[in-house]
Amino acid sequence: MSPLARLLRREDLHSLAAPYALDALDPAERARFERHLRRCRPCDAEVRALSEDAARLACSTAAPPPPALRDRVLAAVRDTPQEPAPARGRTPRLPPHVWGTQPPPARIRAPRPRPLFVPFATTTAAAALVVAALFAVQAHRTREELDAQRDRTREITRVLAAPDARAATGRDARGRGIAVIASASEGRAVVALDGYGAPPAGRVHQLWLMRPGAPPRSLGLLTEGEPLTVTDLERTATSLAVTVEPEGGSDLPTTRPFVQLTLKTVGFGE
Amino acid sequence: MEADELLVLVARGDQKAFEKLYDLVAGPVYGLVQRVVRDPAQSEEVAQEALLDLWRSAARFDPRRGSALSWVLTLAHRRAVDRVRSARAAGERERREALRAASPAFDHVTEEVEAGLEREWVRRCLDRLTALQRQSVTLAYYDGYTYREVAERLSLPLGTVKTRMRDGLTRLRECLGGAA
Repeated sequence: MSPLARLLRREDLHSLAAPYALDALDPAERARFERHLRRCRPCDAEVRALSEDAARLACSTAAPPPPALRDRVLAAVRDTPQEPAPARGRTPRLPPHVWGTQPPPARIRAPRPRPLFVPFATTTAAAALVVAALFAVQAHRTREELDAQRDRTREITRVLAAPDARAATGRDARGRGIAVIASASEGRAVVALDGYGAPPAGRVHQLWLMRPGAPPRSLGLLTEGEPLTVTDLERTATSLAVTVEPEGGSDLPTTRPFVQLTLKTVGFGE
Repeated sequence: MEADELLVLVARGDQKAFEKLYDLVAGPVYGLVQRVVRDPAQSEEVAQEALLDLWRSAARFDPRRGSALSWVLTLAHRRAVDRVRSARAAGERERREALRAASPAFDHVTEEVEAGLEREWVRRCLDRLTALQRQSVTLAYYDGYTYREVAERLSLPLGTVKTRMRDGLTRLRECLGGAA
């Protein structure tokens, strides 16, 4: 990337501070901006100020909560373990958004055990891939990584526990593949790549949702061996695709997908 | 005791402190979630998740970096926005909005109950923004649209929407500065 292009890109990221403070970014952009924040001190200060402004907007909407809510929350608190404090030394500059941000999708009622109506063979293949990837990550861990890991595991559990969770895998002749476990009703999925290795230097693997009559939508960047949880999947979506993109990802695919997987078998495409 | 001090105790597992903190923040949290999510049953569910989050991740709060209330509201807002976006993706929102239009407005009831000073100030300050600044900020914050969706709805270029959001928030800060 030329210095000018890099500068333009930074400017572009910088302008996302206000949308970020208002929670007006989609998940892929949010993640990209948060990576940028870790390195950008001025943005950090700006985001903090803007977030306090946004909170003022919130204060003006206060309303008395239903009394039963209090009893339910206090009862749930008695049975809910707390997360350990993050290692502060390593994240002194993260803005409020970042440490609060990726809260696990807490569910107060534990999901009832439900039968997964998933064809057994495909599930085990896909699940094995996801689980293998999870444990691979466990090997090197800091407190922060463990927190992130736990959040990811919860996200994955949420998909697995959905009543309509289904799995699919696609492999090429060389045994490389992509696996997905998805719930069409929740619009969520866990996606993992296997066997493709790291992208060339300065490039990334970007995951796209292909939809009829609409441009591909970015679902985020995929790292080999790290399952990615994606949300807000439209029911009409037809497939997932992965392309090689310049660092930071692209708004639209700039290369041909090197792997694509239909979502029809997991309940999408209606 | 202030929310900031309580939250530090909560982070050490103090359930009594959590009860007090709940009483301080539940109103703002519930009101915000309800403003974004709208549906009463879903609002209650999301508020409950957010408040439990507060208990679970209290240790992540760093008082040097901002107020407890804004931290709590950030957690709640994120959850509310996530919920409303997935509902919107599923087309549920349209159906619910149609239902709401046919039944007495839920919003009005709570608005009559709660007419605080802060609310008045925020309203007055919002009125002082330009129409585009106000719409850009409120479509994102109160209605949970991404800035791309806001740009689409207002037929504005993306860059313009980003600038309006930022100018809107900055002007709001200047206006509210005298009211805090």
